[in-house]
Amino acid sequence: MKKYILVLLLAFSLPVLAEPVITAGYEEKTPEATLKAIEKLFHETMPHIKGDAFVEGALNFPNSDLPYNKMWAERLAPGAFDEPEEYAHSLAAGKKLWETPFAHGKTMASCFANGGKGAANDYPKVDAASGKVITFEHALNDCRVTNGEKPLDYNDNKTMGALSVVARRLSNGMRINMHVKTDKELAAFNRGKEVFYGRTGKADQSCANCHIQHAGQVARTEDLSPVIGQAAHFPVYRPNPQTGDLNMITLQMRYSGCQKSTGVEKPMKPGSDEANDLEYFHTYISNGMPLSAGIFRK
Amino acid sequence: MKRIIFLAILGALLLQGCKTTPGASAAADAKPAAKPLEMNPEVLMTSKNAGMGNCLACHAIPSRPELAAGTIAPPLIGMKQRFPDIAVLKANIADQKKFNPQTMMPPFGRNKIMTPEQIDVLAQYIYQY
Repeated sequence: MKKYILVLLLAFSLPVLAEPVITAGYEEKTPEATLKAIEKLFHETMPHIKGDAFVEGALNFPNSDLPYNKMWAERLAPGAFDEPEEYAHSLAAGKKLWETPFAHGKTMASCFANGGKGAANDYPKVDAASGKVITFEHALNDCRVTNGEKPLDYNDNKTMGALSVVARRLSNGMRINMHVKTDKELAAFNRGKEVFYGRTGKADQSCANCHIQHAGQVARTEDLSPVIGQAAHFPVYRPNPQTGDLNMITLQMRYSGCQKSTGVEKPMKPGSDEANDLEYFHTYISNGMPLSAGIFRK
Repeated sequence: MKRIIFLAILGALLLQGCKTTPGASAAADAKPAAKPLEMNPEVLMTSKNAGMGNCLACHAIPSRPELAAGTIAPPLIGMKQRFPDIAVLKANIADQKKFNPQTMMPPFGRNKIMTPEQIDVLAQYIYQY
């Protein structure tokens, strides 16, 4: 009898994998083959996009609301980065968090080699002992905690979003440099892959439906951006459709928003294991792309 | 004893089902909506009623070019020729995955996004295109 109960308990404790959408990359066994299969599909479906141009995402497609995007891009021109009133507040908050010395006098820059230049593009990583994914935002929070400060909320665009964009911009132009080799790294990649291809929510859709299978097509008025290049350009400045305010949205905040708009009752929380695993897989798919944090996206 | 094990296994299977279709379970548990059920097909097929039909997000209606629409799915044209039996059209709306396993079309009936009555009026309506 005890044996039966044990078997039943085990059955309950096993994670249930969501049903995957079988599209390019899903059936390939290694990270390299997965990325190649997606590249091959995009070569067929969007031959005009090559190399680093993937970082431009939906802006590569003719149906994008380009004038609208241009209008914002001009207001956020690099030369005027410190000036535009829309995000000066957020940016100032991020700079303050990055530059203000901790109680003992050190700053955030002391936690990273070269003062943080070339740090963000080495993330996410996998902790060799626990097998858990460590994102760049984890590293920012670790730095704060090590220096006696409270960690920031991964879902707060005014603090973590602002700090993340300021810290990541130090590595803009540097290429994502991930190595998925060890068993624990491969396990993290595969967990994230199942999340990416797994159907969820009322609409029973997966990330892969829009950003691989139908990438480049139009959902009502919006071009669906291809998965390659996406992870390289976060955080983004994104207007709140209700207020028009610009918010600093990290990749994981976007996961949550994406799930909300596709009818997922309990969208994944930024900072959760699920979101971290997804970021690991997702970022590998942009491996070698130059970071481009702090751009505008609708 | 056997009955207990049988019930436990049955329970496990039911729970597994809930885990794979969270939308279905949440919809089934939801309290009846305070608003009257939307039955206007023109509203059901647009984003005005986001979360219900929203056909135009993916399907264009070529004879209605004034309506902003997506390109993800086949345009709504020649519906009578494509679906001589309207019951097949309704079944497609209710659960497209039965016809195309890799579809991204939401299972409007299976996950209770729309009621059978709403699917019925919507199918009758798009049958004209």
